[in-house]
This record gives sequence, structure tokens and C-alpha cells, in this order.
Amino acid sequence: MTHIDSPLYQNNTGASALKTPTQRMLSEAWASLAFKFGLGIFMLLLFGALIYPELSSIDPTKIHIRARFVPPLFMGEDWSWAHPLGTDHLGRDLFLRCLVGLRYSVMIGVCTVIFMFILGCGLGLVSGFKGKLTDTIIMRITDAQLSIPMIILAITILGISRPTAPAIILVLGLAGWPLYARVARSAALSEKTKEYIKGQRVLGASDWRIITLFVAPAVLPPIAFVAVLDVAAIMIFESILGFIGLGIQPPTPTFGNIIADGRKYLINSWWIATMPGVFLLLTLVSLNLMGSAMENARNKVLKGTA
Amino acid sequence: MHLLSFLTRRLLQGAIVLLIVTFAIFTLLRVVPGDPARLIVGGMAPDEVVEQQAEALGLNDPIPVQFARYLGDIFQGDLGNSFFRPKSGATVGAAAFDDPTRGDRAEVLSLILGRIPLTFQLAGLAVVFALVMSFPLGVAAGLNPGKWQDKLAFFTGSVFVSVPNFWLGIVLAQIFSVNLGILPSLGYKGFEYTILPAFVLAVGISPFIIRTLSVSIAQVMQEEFIAMASLRGLKRARIVGAHAIRNASIPLLNLFGIQMGALLGVLLVVELIFDYPGLGRLTINAVLQRDFPIIQGVAIFISAIFVFINIAVDLAASYIDPRLEY
Repeated sequence: MTHIDSPLYQNNTGASALKTPTQRMLSEAWASLAFKFGLGIFMLLLFGALIYPELSSIDPTKIHIRARFVPPLFMGEDWSWAHPLGTDHLGRDLFLRCLVGLRYSVMIGVCTVIFMFILGCGLGLVSGFKGKLTDTIIMRITDAQLSIPMIILAITILGISRPTAPAIILVLGLAGWPLYARVARSAALSEKTKEYIKGQRVLGASDWRIITLFVAPAVLPPIAFVAVLDVAAIMIFESILGFIGLGIQPPTPTFGNIIADGRKYLINSWWIATMPGVFLLLTLVSLNLMGSAMENARNKVLKGTA
Repeated sequence: MHLLSFLTRRLLQGAIVLLIVTFAIFTLLRVVPGDPARLIVGGMAPDEVVEQQAEALGLNDPIPVQFARYLGDIFQGDLGNSFFRPKSGATVGAAAFDDPTRGDRAEVLSLILGRIPLTFQLAGLAVVFALVMSFPLGVAAGLNPGKWQDKLAFFTGSVFVSVPNFWLGIVLAQIFSVNLGILPSLGYKGFEYTILPAFVLAVGISPFIIRTLSVSIAQVMQEEFIAMASLRGLKRARIVGAHAIRNASIPLLNLFGIQMGALLGVLLVVELIFDYPGLGRLTINAVLQRDFPIIQGVAIFISAIFVFINIAVDLAASYIDPRLEY
């Protein structure tokens, strides 16, 4: 991709030709409506999640028995502006609980993906670059790990140990790294044969120096672009764990445990289980729109049509 | 001959993967806190009974010895007995340690085999639903890249992939079973109980199919042989049906091999929500009860299915496109 005569550069004129592939991917993604839309909603939600619970005088875990089962805005009879999404069976404000849930969800999603990315890409790069026995060993471990379904691994470990945020991040990350390892490995394999890497070898650079200073910067950004989609996937996963009772434990609200609670009151108070789901859906759609737009941009740039 | 060497090689590799999986799960379950003997006899039992039980199960031997014994049993087709489930079906729970019903514990293999048909039925119907939903969208998007069909497919895919499946299950059950009363949603008494869960599962699978189809069809349509086909006087429908879709179905097949794991995750949750008596509910209950032999058995079984499906996918791909090597 660094050859000046590649078709990527011929399509571009003037200053844009000097951009690195990563910059071109970013500007390509920014050009799509889905990306701006997704980013906008996501930022709004994230901002709300960070600010509103601090400003609000209501405590998301405080039980307020007289205000229980208040329906959301404009629904039913005794709705109020104080509780835009209504309250649950213990009179706790659902809007606030959703926002706090969102904090944990995004935090776990982002941390897990970073962890997966570092572990998976690290092993994948080493595996692809070193080859031979290192490669065989790492790839067989990857195969074995891939054939254990993530969910069985996660619920087995979390069912036995105490589910806290770091434990969940660790487990989900350990279950998800092999895909990154595979992608990073194949990218490293193709990068390895390029002239500039061979040049580095001739200059006497060590393997580690080549991997960290040259292969990683060339190979990792395109993989990171797709990682946004995984943040959304992990957030769903976290909510599933919460739903089964293996997520962050109550009274801390998470999407999973709010919905699990609300399920018991579904017939009379449908909103308790439904609203957090809509909230989560909105967040995930924004992330996925953003992620898919980035993926498309990446594919265009890599294929050389942008 | 070529086929034979391919099968031997892949089956051998598969066996190695299975061995690693078995060892990993086995060790994991042995090193975590919680004494199985204590779990079996219950919290009220005196220590001698626990000790006796541990001795009977061979839990006092070193882990490698236990593992070797377990492997030996597997080769004879014995995945062990459940800790808690009696043959009669009801779970024992926290009954007294000298309860006579404790003796007869169900075999893991028969538990799994009993659940498998229902799970296959659910997964099969879900795949049918998913294909029906995604084919029109994906093919239309692939044929018209950049047009509204493409955008529609992109948007539908993004929304479907964002739907938390357990939540969708709850909402659909509420609408179709409680409010409208059209479809049943809890337990299993007949084929109609499969429809709602299969639909939820299908929503989870279809984004991947839509995406793969639209990308690969768009790619195939740019090939020279497609342009040549219309010069050869072939009709548009035949070009798309016989040439484009046939070539685009290879990535789709590969996708099934890769996405099996994710599919299983959704399957587990969907079965739990709809109280569907398949493999997934068995697994989740086993995990929550710490019924180690069942967890081990299911993990090995699923890994085996995984290995076989990936071999089958490669075989099918080379059947569709004879240029592909095994």
C-alpha cells in the first residue's frame, strides 16, 4: 500500500494523495451518512449517560415504593415528566437506570474489545511473522479456542467465579481473541514478503523491532476499523449475561438485569422490560451503523476504489 | 483417492482439536472452586459421606489420571452420568443425602441425544426463515450496488444485528402469545412451539447472510463471465440464478462454518427464553447447577459438531465449485 505507483494514488489528486491509508479510510467513512448519523446518536447517548446521572437528584438504586409502576410519557394515566421512561416495580426511575446501565455496557464493550485486540493481534502478528513452530502452536490453540462456543466458556467461568466487571471483561476477551489472531496473522503473512520489510532485515533489524515499528502500524488500523462492530456484539453479550444473572450483580443496573426483572411484570407493566431494550437497541444501531460504514470505507480503500 | 486423503487429514486435525477442547474444559472444571462430591450429596451430608462419594467418583486421584479415565470412557461411548438429574427426569435439587432417588443418575449421552432432535429442528427452521428473509434483500442489494436496495439491505442488516435477541423474544412472546394469542411460546408440545423461537433466531442470523450475499454478488457481477453470459444470449434470470448466486453461495457456506459458534450462543439464549427443551436449556441449567459431566459432554459434543460442519462445508463448497481444492 505504500507504493507510489499503486492504483490507490492514481484516483486521488493533489493533497489527498499524501494521506495515509488510515486517513483515507477515516475520510471515506466520514463521507457516509450512516456514519455521521450513528456517531451523532452514539455521542448523544454517551454524553447523556455521563452527565445526566450526575446532575439528576434521583438515585438509580433508591427504592421509592409510592412511585412504582409509573408508565412512560404519554402512556396510561399517571405518567409524569419526572420519569420519562416510567419506573419499575420498586419505583426506581427507568431512564436513569438505563443510562447507568449504558455506562457499564459501553465500558465493558470497549475494554473487552481493546483487550481482545491487543491479545489477538499480538499473538496473530507474532504467529504470522515468526512462522514455523510458533505459528503452528498458536494457530492450533486458536482452532481449539474457536471450537468452544464463547457463550459456554463465558457462562461456565462466570457461573463459578463471582461476576464482576473485570471478570466479565477478562472472560469475554479470552473467548473472543482468536478471530483477531487469525486476521492479524494473515495480514502479517502478506506484509512479511514486502520489500521494505526485507530491507529492514538486511539492515539488521530484530524481529521485535520489525513487528512493533513496521508490521503493526501497517496491519493493525484496518483491523481496528472493524472492531467497532465487535463493541456492539460484546454489549449484546454483556446484556445476555446480565439477563441470565451472570452479569454485574444487582442493585447496580445493567440492561440485562433490568430486563430480567421487568419480565416478571410484563403483563401489567410492559414498559419495564421493553424500554431498556429499546434503549439498548438504539445504542447498538448507532454503533453498528458507524461500524458498518467504517467497514465499507475500509474495504473500499483496501480494494483501491476510493 | 484425493477425497480420502482430505477426509483423513481433516478428521485427524479435528480429533486433535477435540482432544485439546476436552482437556481444557476438563481441567477448567477441576480447578475451579466447588467440590462435586459435596454438590452431589448436598450440604446436609456428613463429611464421611462426601469422602465416600469423592472416592466412588475417583475425584481423589490426580487430574491427569482422572482425565485419562474420562478419555477411556469417551472412547467407549460413555460421557459419564449427570450429578443431579435422575433418570426419571425431575431434578433432585436439595433433597436429603440419603434420598433413594439419588442413586439413579441419568447418562449424559442419552440426555444430549434426547435433546438434539429438538435443537436441530429449531436451528433448521431458523435457517430456513433466515434464508427466506435475507435472500431477496441480499440479492437485490448485490445486483444494485449503491442504489436504494443496497441501502435498504445495509440498514436492515444494521438494525437486525443490533436487536438483543433475548429482548426480542420477550417482546414477541408478549405480542403473539399474550396479546394476540396466535402462537404459543412456552415449552414444547408440538411443531408450532418452534415458530417464534426460530424467528428470533433467524433475526440473529440474517444480517450475516444479507451482508455476505450482497457483497459477494456485487463482486461476481463484475466478473467477465457475467458480461459474456448476456452476449451468449442467456436471460437475465438465468445469469443471476445459475451464475451469480451459485458463485456467491461459496462465501455463504464458509460463513456458516465460521458463524456456527455465534449461532449456538443465540440458540442457547433463545431456548432459555422460550423454555424450549433443547440442548441450550440443558446446558444453561447444567452451568447454573454446576453439573460438570453435562457441561463437559455438551462442550465436547458441540465441538465435534463444529468440526464436522466445517468439513462438510469444505466438501459442499468443492462440489458447487469444482475449481476449489479440498
